[in-house]
Amino acid sequence: MAVSIPLHFLVLLPVGVGAVGYFLPRRWYHLALLVMNIAILALSILTFIEVRWGAQIIQHIAGWPDWIAIKLVADKYSAPLVVLTAIFFAGTFVFSTRADYTDKTFLFLFVMLESALIGVFLSGDIFNIYVLIELGMIAIAILIMYKQDKQSVYDAMLYLMMNFIAMAFMLLGIGYLYRITGVLDLDALVARLPLLDNPRAVIVPYAMIMTAIALKSALFPLFSWLPRAHGAPSAPGIVSAVLSGVQVKAGVYLLVRLSAVFSPVIDATPFFMVLGFVTSVVGFLLAIAQKDIKLILAYHTVSQVGLIVMGLNLGSDVAFWGAMYHIINHALFKGLLFLTAGVIIEEYGSRSYAEIRGVLRRMPAIGIGTLAGVLGITGAPFFNGSISKYFIQQGLQGDFGGIGMFLINLGTTLSFVKYSLILFGKPSVAPDRPLRRDPWVAGVSLVFGIACLAGGLLGGPTVALVYGPQYSAGGALSAEKITTFVVTLALAVALYALVVRRIGGFLASIRQFKFSFNQITVVLTLFFVGLLGYTWWAGG
Amino acid sequence: MAFIEHLHITDLTVAIFFLGLYGAMTQRNIIKTIISVGIMDIGAISFFMLANHKPGAKPPVVPTPPQIMADPVPQALMITAIVIGVSVIAMCLAMYMRVAYRYGTADWNILIRRLEK
Repeated sequence: MAVSIPLHFLVLLPVGVGAVGYFLPRRWYHLALLVMNIAILALSILTFIEVRWGAQIIQHIAGWPDWIAIKLVADKYSAPLVVLTAIFFAGTFVFSTRADYTDKTFLFLFVMLESALIGVFLSGDIFNIYVLIELGMIAIAILIMYKQDKQSVYDAMLYLMMNFIAMAFMLLGIGYLYRITGVLDLDALVARLPLLDNPRAVIVPYAMIMTAIALKSALFPLFSWLPRAHGAPSAPGIVSAVLSGVQVKAGVYLLVRLSAVFSPVIDATPFFMVLGFVTSVVGFLLAIAQKDIKLILAYHTVSQVGLIVMGLNLGSDVAFWGAMYHIINHALFKGLLFLTAGVIIEEYGSRSYAEIRGVLRRMPAIGIGTLAGVLGITGAPFFNGSISKYFIQQGLQGDFGGIGMFLINLGTTLSFVKYSLILFGKPSVAPDRPLRRDPWVAGVSLVFGIACLAGGLLGGPTVALVYGPQYSAGGALSAEKITTFVVTLALAVALYALVVRRIGGFLASIRQFKFSFNQITVVLTLFFVGLLGYTWWAGG
Repeated sequence: MAFIEHLHITDLTVAIFFLGLYGAMTQRNIIKTIISVGIMDIGAISFFMLANHKPGAKPPVVPTPPQIMADPVPQALMITAIVIGVSVIAMCLAMYMRVAYRYGTADWNILIRRLEK
């Protein structure tokens, strides 16, 4: 593989084609962007092959020397995520072939988001990361209020302002870092940070940057923007799928990247491990309280991101790579669930889980896709979630870890017992209503569903193929694991029937509780102070 | 009051940043919070501009010899950050107009109560 792909192609191609092709009629524009996405997918796979079996690719923009140039890096962390992004956008473009909710402005913003995401993954320069996150943030804010119905403008405004405050924190942190070290390049920071006379000087910029990253990856207590953005009533399914599948992973990716940069001077892994666990528990508790199927999924993203962050910070290799694999798995099944949820909402004209029944009978392909996603996310044997959760569990030590993991699994299963009620029973729409058949929608749902199954059957080899380390996933299919899953499922069904259905009033009060903007800002500030205090205490 | 003599202009920019944060935490008026967020951004940008500042440095344009030039990197980067800040603030204000037309209030707490209906 001597052919080296210029990495800036991957970043500039989506937005470039989007801008140049804007004069085309809508149908042709969609087609041009679809072709562009397939090209991106091919290029990213070539890049991935070169990175995986060759060396990492480093590109200095405009030929400036290292440490001065803006740098693009494709390495073993970023290349798989770029491929994942490309798969997602190609998949959503195929999915929306016959959709009527996409107009040209929408598609342009959508590919702008793609450029920003690929750029965040490939950047090797902290200021570049800042700029690209801001770009993605503006595109997302417009996408989630696109139809401007119900309270979506309020949601988008709150999203934009919260994220802007976090990014102001990040900008000040970057300024501090530049003042101390004189460089912005990540590799240069790695080289210079240990040489500082007073390593404690890094604590303030670290806390500022990490507060912003924690908000981006929706950690407790900073996740209140995520359900608004991902479960926004006015955003089509494809936007929710991309946001939940890939965009929130950009935050997690930066958490890994920047923690590695600061690791010689600051180690906050216990902090983020506990925070991941708390996020996971709070996420599923809130998911159980929801009625809107998109909000159930959105709060569930919070929970799963918490699990990923916990796995990444356990300090064990198996758990780390398991969590990296869970990033891919979660993208697949949550993307699938959001895509199918969008179709289901359109078909039934309702968003409440209580009013939707019989999806399997009415729309078999969508129903099977949803079922595969649900099995994946609950960690059912033979599906991809079971493998990555098994790896994460291997990194846990002691009874407390085992109980914690069981609790998270139980909560996940419980909220999806509630969610999967929509699949069964008699269809709750009039039977004589004509059914819209869309082979593209059905095809993409089934392909994603099969990917969930394949990721489970070939779990160990997939991790080895994508990331390199060899772990046996055989234990995930042992009799003990299958028994645990069955017991969890039974317990979840029992809990749902006996407890959750009887406390509707309590759940409604949780559902209606909302933080105002001022309270969110106070929480953000408290998080910053808490992280600052922790790093000060742990470093001293 | 001896500590005032040790204060540097960069400390003032940090103070401006936290002043903006205070505004965002306490103001119930939406316009005022948007302005506060803008102040935070300006504080961060000014801080970055003053990083590595040397007394007597000249603007980094061509006739200046490199020895007495100010550090050009923050200036180049902050143009980008200023543009982003302006566009985000403009977008917030545009969204606020939509919200104000629809719900008829400029108060975050009243707005939340009107959303549920």
